[in-house]
Amino acid sequence: MQCKDFEAVLEQEGLDPLPLAARSHLGECSACQNLFADLSVIISSAKTLPAEVDPPERLWVSLRAQMAGEGLIKQRAPAPTEKAAWWQALSTVFRPRVLATAGVGLALAFAAFLTIHRNPVIVKNATPATPVAPAQTAVEPTATQPSSPAPVAPAPAPQVTAHVKSRSNPAAGTQDFKPSPSDNVYDGIPVTVQHPEQNLAGPSIRGSVEADASLRENLRVINEVIAECQKHLKKHPDDALAREYLASAYQQKAQLVAAILDSGRSEQ
Amino acid sequence: MIPHLEINDRTVLSAVGTAILFCAAASAVAAPPEHKEQHFAVKGRPTVVLQNIVDGRIEVKSSKNAEVVVVSTSSPEKVAIDLEQVGDRIDISATGLVNSTQPHEVEANFILTVPEETELQLKTQTGLIYVEQVNGDMQLESVAGDVNLKEVSGYIIVKTTGGSLKCTQCAGKLDFASIGGGAQVLQSSLSRINLMTTTGNLLYDGEFVRTGIYTMKSTRGSVEVRFSPTDSLDVDARSSTGTVDNQAAEFLRPDAHGPHHSRSRGNSFFGTVGQGLAKVELSSYSGTIRILKRP
Repeated sequence: MQCKDFEAVLEQEGLDPLPLAARSHLGECSACQNLFADLSVIISSAKTLPAEVDPPERLWVSLRAQMAGEGLIKQRAPAPTEKAAWWQALSTVFRPRVLATAGVGLALAFAAFLTIHRNPVIVKNATPATPVAPAQTAVEPTATQPSSPAPVAPAPAPQVTAHVKSRSNPAAGTQDFKPSPSDNVYDGIPVTVQHPEQNLAGPSIRGSVEADASLRENLRVINEVIAECQKHLKKHPDDALAREYLASAYQQKAQLVAAILDSGRSEQ
Repeated sequence: MIPHLEINDRTVLSAVGTAILFCAAASAVAAPPEHKEQHFAVKGRPTVVLQNIVDGRIEVKSSKNAEVVVVSTSSPEKVAIDLEQVGDRIDISATGLVNSTQPHEVEANFILTVPEETELQLKTQTGLIYVEQVNGDMQLESVAGDVNLKEVSGYIIVKTTGGSLKCTQCAGKLDFASIGGGAQVLQSSLSRINLMTTTGNLLYDGEFVRTGIYTMKSTRGSVEVRFSPTDSLDVDARSSTGTVDNQAAEFLRPDAHGPHHSRSRGNSFFGTVGQGLAKVELSSYSGTIRILKRP
């Protein structure tokens, strides 16, 4: 056997086991011994390499974007069969985790509903002689505050009836006036959140002048948005989207005020 | 005698003035920005928490090395920087030692080099937050600074007061909340996004992953989405006092599998592209919602 034949045997059959003729050639030829030793080391080293690791997702996004940018690939066509069987979808709904999540979500939604739809008219439209519950008094904005909700005008009688019937709270049935939906949003929000500027009078700063200016500017913007939504809701009380944005603006305002207080910018 | 006294006074005044100038110059020379570099060896997937209470820029890039490198530049007399390592968590904080009266007077800038798989929690007041090629959950907060993300993936939470977000080639999930800042999401493949702003403009020009949920809300700003005709999505666009500008009407057909069949007015629209697998919810109180087909 020649060296050429030995290489052919290695190529076709691998290192182990070698045929008898190849083994006898290997015993005589030093060049083939070197080759065999090198191949053995390579194979044993390859076995110790770690398993293939998936590249991060962003790499594919980046590659795809680059290839699309260079025109190498085009947008893929939609897959024809994506629809799952209806019983599979139904079984997904009844998974314990989904049910638990839905339960918690429902509980939260119910709590939010109760919070938003508590009757604010009890205090706002009560005559001076009417006794006022202490908890409700704490929520009511003061009359001198400019952005406090205006007293609600009496609504037409049929609306009042419908409104009272829809109330789950029996005490609300004794009320004569229908609250504005924008007023409802005030419920559950402490007065300090409604008018937090009172707590932020201090101009002193411990951090960043620019950040402080940004916080104050955005607080002004939020107040504008709140006023705008309130004005809109007076005219269009059924606009659910506007109500949603008003509630969101109050939430943002609360977070903004918390950020200002946390950073120590209110310190005198 | 009197002229002699006048000369003495002038001399004293000159000396005092010169001394003041020397002191000012000396203090200026004595407080150059301090440049520090520290290395923290890590084993697995590190978490880097950086709380910058003062102004400054934060830049994060990745490397193949199993270490976190923190390079900080600040004025040592005005800013205190603390670094601590607890296992694979690196805590960095920068606090002001003096009250600032001018923008960027009290400033600390950071350049972090982290392993590719790293979780980040970064907070600054002003100055850019820039993150590139990092894979991991991240929470980024800024008051007035912008946030720029490139080739990142994970669950990304960005909160700003006035700063804007630009997210290019991102993957995973993205939550953005701001008052004055806008957001641009470009060339990305996110399975869920939730963009909310009060006055900023929102733009999504990326892939709509099947079963993905894309929510974009701007109170006063515009909301714009660009889709490809081969995408599969349901678009629900609503505005209270603004308008819905549907510039891709020929590619959107009425919803066939929901309760929205006929809802298509000036400030409200529902349409489907393809099978409607992704859910896209756009809303604005008074801004314009624009729906475009990608060229």
